[in-house]
Amino acid sequence: MTGAFDREFTLAEILPAAMLETLGTALANLLDADLAVLDAGGDVLWGRAPADASREAFVLEIEPLGYLASAASPDRLRAAAVLLRQMLVARARYLMACDLHTDAIAADWQALLERNQALAASEARYKALSEELEQRVQDQVRLLDERTRQLYQAEKLASVGQLAAGVAHEINNPIGFVRSNIASFGGYLEKFAALKARLAEGQAAWKDLDLDFVIEDGAEIVKDSLEGVDRVARIVRDLRGFSNVDRPEEEIVDLNDSLREAMSVFSGRLPPGVELRQAFSALPRIPCLPGHLNQVFLHLIENAVQAVADTGKPGTVTVSSRPAEGGIEIAVTDTGVGMSSAQQARAFEPFYTTRPVGSGTGLGLTVARGIVQAHDGRISIDSQPGSGATITLFLPA
Amino acid sequence: MPDIENDRLTFKLVYYGPAQSGKTTNLMRLHDLLAPELKGEMMTLETQGDRTLFFDLLPLGFRAASGLLVKLRLFTVPGQVAHDGTRKAVLSRADGVVFVADSQKTQEINNAESFKNLAENAARVGLDFQRLPLVVQFNKRDLPAIVSEDEVRARWSGAVSWPLTFAMALTGEGVRETFDALLRAVFRRFADELELERRHGLDEAAFVAGLLGGGAAT
Ligand SMILES: Nc1nc2c(ncn2[C@@H]2O[C@H](COP(=O)(O)OP(=O)(O)OP(=O)(O)O)[C@@H](O)[C@H]2O)c(=O)[nH]1
Ligand SMILES: [Mg+2]
Repeated sequence: MTGAFDREFTLAEILPAAMLETLGTALANLLDADLAVLDAGGDVLWGRAPADASREAFVLEIEPLGYLASAASPDRLRAAAVLLRQMLVARARYLMACDLHTDAIAADWQALLERNQALAASEARYKALSEELEQRVQDQVRLLDERTRQLYQAEKLASVGQLAAGVAHEINNPIGFVRSNIASFGGYLEKFAALKARLAEGQAAWKDLDLDFVIEDGAEIVKDSLEGVDRVARIVRDLRGFSNVDRPEEEIVDLNDSLREAMSVFSGRLPPGVELRQAFSALPRIPCLPGHLNQVFLHLIENAVQAVADTGKPGTVTVSSRPAEGGIEIAVTDTGVGMSSAQQARAFEPFYTTRPVGSGTGLGLTVARGIVQAHDGRISIDSQPGSGATITLFLPA
Repeated sequence: MPDIENDRLTFKLVYYGPAQSGKTTNLMRLHDLLAPELKGEMMTLETQGDRTLFFDLLPLGFRAASGLLVKLRLFTVPGQVAHDGTRKAVLSRADGVVFVADSQKTQEINNAESFKNLAENAARVGLDFQRLPLVVQFNKRDLPAIVSEDEVRARWSGAVSWPLTFAMALTGEGVRETFDALLRAVFRRFADELELERRHGLDEAAFVAGLLGGGAAT
């Protein structure tokens, strides 16, 4: 039953044998006579007709589709043909609708396939495009990475330069006065050499050579020079931390222990009026370089204690720790002099210090930040002049 | 391309166009107006209100002097956009098309889209659109807000100029003229290939007269 919906049907197509049998039998009974159904060519499709039968055509569109042949009265035969034709029209409509439906579905399906192919093609285009974009993004990222690396290198060079300039300046200073001290001390030794020739003169020579002053000033000069040398030594020590010359192994530690250790260094050394408090929460153990972090803690506590002492009033330094999202947080809070935002902005620069010359190297926070960053951590300052400061460290677990 | 088989020649002609443009009305009027030797009933296959869901079919025919039976089967397509699969299936194997446009200004876009759809579907079902006998009818000339004839002519006198007709299918005016124009286009397209004049003594006038019928003047 498949084919173009608009093909021209034959009688046999519209009325299959079984249906023809049922209809023919019923019509013959109604006519109460022998009946034959003939196709358009006059061949008998069903039944039998007597020799004296008359024929009645039935037309579906404009031509006879077939004939009824019977000896029944012409009126009755015509009525039977009308009846049969109505059946045929209904059947033909049904068949056309079925076939058209099949055609239409096929057409819709074809349209869907075409659309699908178009979609697949455009998907392929988009995929190609997105791959190309991806590639371009990667290239761009690589370029950016390279630029960043270059920038970083440039910055590092700049900061090395800055560091070198700072080191030169900081070391030059003590070396300058140590040198002049030693030169003066050489002069003093000459005076003692001169005394040897004038020993006979006794007290008078001693006085004349002003040796009381020489001894007093010489002691001063030695003390001064030792301080200067110590200062150079301290700078060198800090620089080693800064440049990470010695790389120790990583350990997994409870940083509360490290903090306790750092705080213990200050017991009995705290300036009057300064109280050191601890506010620890239990911490997860994390992998880190404890020696380096100790250096950070020491420096932060030392700074905070100094900031409180600088106020000339009693105050506290609180060291706290707590687990935080993805790591741990350590804070050193003081009630000291605080920092302006300008000071905060420069606080991490090498050799930046607000303290009088000689009290520190100005490398402390720089070193601290370097160490924290080496741990993939962060360091931040929260402060206001006159109302203390909090330095917070975040270290990833 | 129709075949001559057992002394029978059947043409399939299709009324195409946007929804509600008057395709079914054209066929109904033709059924009333034409008086060929053979005229069947108009078969309407399911409608929803007056919207065609499958197709309408009007069969016509006449016997030429040579004994050749010339049959015409006129179909309408459903104009609604959603029935494109059915429209395409009905258009398949068409030997000629009347494009029924709705003259109302509000329908200009629908006309254009439907015409484009005709060209696309013709290509899909393997019809050579450039050679397809086609008549464009602007229907509903009785309505007030319509595109003027001059404008229609200006717009449709493109590279390919199909015969243009104006109609009021509701009253029947222009329906016969449209059909007449299509018959002539069909005759000119196929007469030679089918040897209608040489073998069947059928010229254009006889062809058209046979199908319009009733001794009607053309
Ligand atoms: N005013 C006016 N109305 C018309 C004319 N021709 C048809 N109509 C009306 O337009 C409406 C649609 O006509 P149809 O012939 O059913 O339209 P169709 O093109 O077959 O529509 P679909 O089967 O949906 O594609 C009917 O209400 C018709 O009476 C006309 O010339 N003038
Ligand atoms: Mg319709």
